[in-house]
Amino acid sequence: MNPVFNMDAATLSPVALFLQADIVVKVVMAGLLLASIWSWAIIVSLVVRLGRTRKGMARFERDFWKADDIDAFHKKEAEGDLPSTRVLAAGISEWRRSTAGTAIDKAGTRERLATAMGAAAAGEVDRLSDRLNVLATVASASPFVGLFGTVWGIMRSFTGIAQAQNSSLAVVAPGIAEALFATAIGLFAAIPALIAYNRFNHAIGRIEAALNRFADGFHATLSRQLDGAR
Amino acid sequence: MERAEKIGLGVAVAGHLVLFGLLSVGFLATPNPEKLKQQPVEVSLVTDVAKESTAPNPAEAAQSVAPEIGAPEEAAAPEPVEAPPEAKPEPAPAPPTPAPPKPQPKATPKPQPRPEPKPQPQPKPQPKPEPKPQPVAKPAPKPTPKPAPTPKPAPAKPAPAKPAPAKPVPAKPAPAKPATTSGGSGKPNATRPAASSAKPATPARGSGSSATAKAERPRGGRLGNDFLKGLGTEPSKSSNADAAPAAKMGAQQAANIGSAILRQVQPCANRQVTPGPGAERIRVAINLRLNRDGTLAARPRVVGHTGVDDDNSRYVDRVDDLAIATFVGCSPLKGLPEELYDVQNGWSNFTLRYKLPG
Repeated sequence: MNPVFNMDAATLSPVALFLQADIVVKVVMAGLLLASIWSWAIIVSLVVRLGRTRKGMARFERDFWKADDIDAFHKKEAEGDLPSTRVLAAGISEWRRSTAGTAIDKAGTRERLATAMGAAAAGEVDRLSDRLNVLATVASASPFVGLFGTVWGIMRSFTGIAQAQNSSLAVVAPGIAEALFATAIGLFAAIPALIAYNRFNHAIGRIEAALNRFADGFHATLSRQLDGAR
Repeated sequence: MERAEKIGLGVAVAGHLVLFGLLSVGFLATPNPEKLKQQPVEVSLVTDVAKESTAPNPAEAAQSVAPEIGAPEEAAAPEPVEAPPEAKPEPAPAPPTPAPPKPQPKATPKPQPRPEPKPQPQPKPQPKPEPKPQPVAKPAPKPTPKPAPTPKPAPAKPAPAKPAPAKPVPAKPAPAKPATTSGGSGKPNATRPAASSAKPATPARGSGSSATAKAERPRGGRLGNDFLKGLGTEPSKSSNADAAPAAKMGAQQAANIGSAILRQVQPCANRQVTPGPGAERIRVAINLRLNRDGTLAARPRVVGHTGVDDDNSRYVDRVDDLAIATFVGCSPLKGLPEELYDVQNGWSNFTLRYKLPG
């Protein structure tokens, strides 16, 4: 490995390729680089969040179905940040509001409970998948942006041929290398974003399904309670 | 922004910096493409084949052979003996061969005289040595046996007689001799010269070095220092012969001077822009008239073209101009050999082939 900081266009040094490029290609490259950084930031944060959420939800459901007293369990878990906690909180608060009065409308209470918990689950899923659209955009758009930079750079090197009146490879090659570097950065940003988008879509789908299962189970429990409370 | 997102942003920025830093330092650098460039091999086509000898080259062959055979046995005598047998096959291509040692000492003291007088003295010794070797060969073996017995004591003689069996003929007389030595000293003396004369006689007959080499190898182990002295002195003479000045500039020198000129004009040649595709295939024969100090005596003239085809025929005039501009631009040519300036075919009027780089 050559420790010399190589600014020669003949090497694959990104800095050299960037500095020698046209201003339009530079803007494209910089934008794609930011997109790549952003998408990787989202990927890392989502990996952390989704992993923590999935483990926490599994533990929460296991503990919830073992718990004897739902109110005590809810108080213990109240400060948690899990989606299941919020679904549980939405269900319990709706249950308390619906059963506060003397006359209880069972059918209406069941409907409101289901709606409240479903809304809470949907909100949690929305919150989790908030950044996924960025990944989707980067994955689909950055190859085209990079291609635009490449087309622009190749157009520029062809005008260079016309000016130098010389079609030797030494005239054409640096410009085309710079231009292709734009597509390379575009793909470099798009490929991880696409893979991560598909993977996180799947993971969030599973979390949503688990939340809905938990909401349905809790709704069944409350519904049973409603029948027994009478 | 949540904590997880901050972590993610930090990790992403750090990862990108590390990756691009590695790429910038040359982690994935392609091998330097300059190594892959094929260096053009310069082939200079020599138009004039030099049939004439370009420098007086007196008989290196006789000198180079002499140390191998002449030195080992006796210092002075064998040299004339061995040289003539090789001179006999050669005389047709290289007439001066027998002459060499004599004209050389004469030639070196003279400060580079005109080489023409030299060939004249050379033919004169020709007839002389040819008769000489025959008389020399006969007297040579006779003196040799006399010094030979003196250094070798009497007990040493049976020893060479035993290794002698390589030759079947002397082997049988050899055991017979020690018996007679006690009786009369005249008979062994007579037989030994006969045996010893037979050995130098064999190289004279065979005239091939192989026969002489076989005869002397058994002795070679004992010769030691004298043999090396003979080798050490001889090559210096031959190097003197190479240093003699030239009569004409031959093909080799012309090619060397052409290469030297092309090297010197290369900076100017590199500045010329190739007028179009295929123009670099045009080879221009350009005539330079040079002064002795390397400046151009006249504007270079284009005297011919090769490599012109349909694609590049329209660039011919432009290539001519570029070629002339190249030689004018780098015109004071330096380092050309002074002694080859005004000899026949010298570089005072020099024609060489030039093509655009690329």
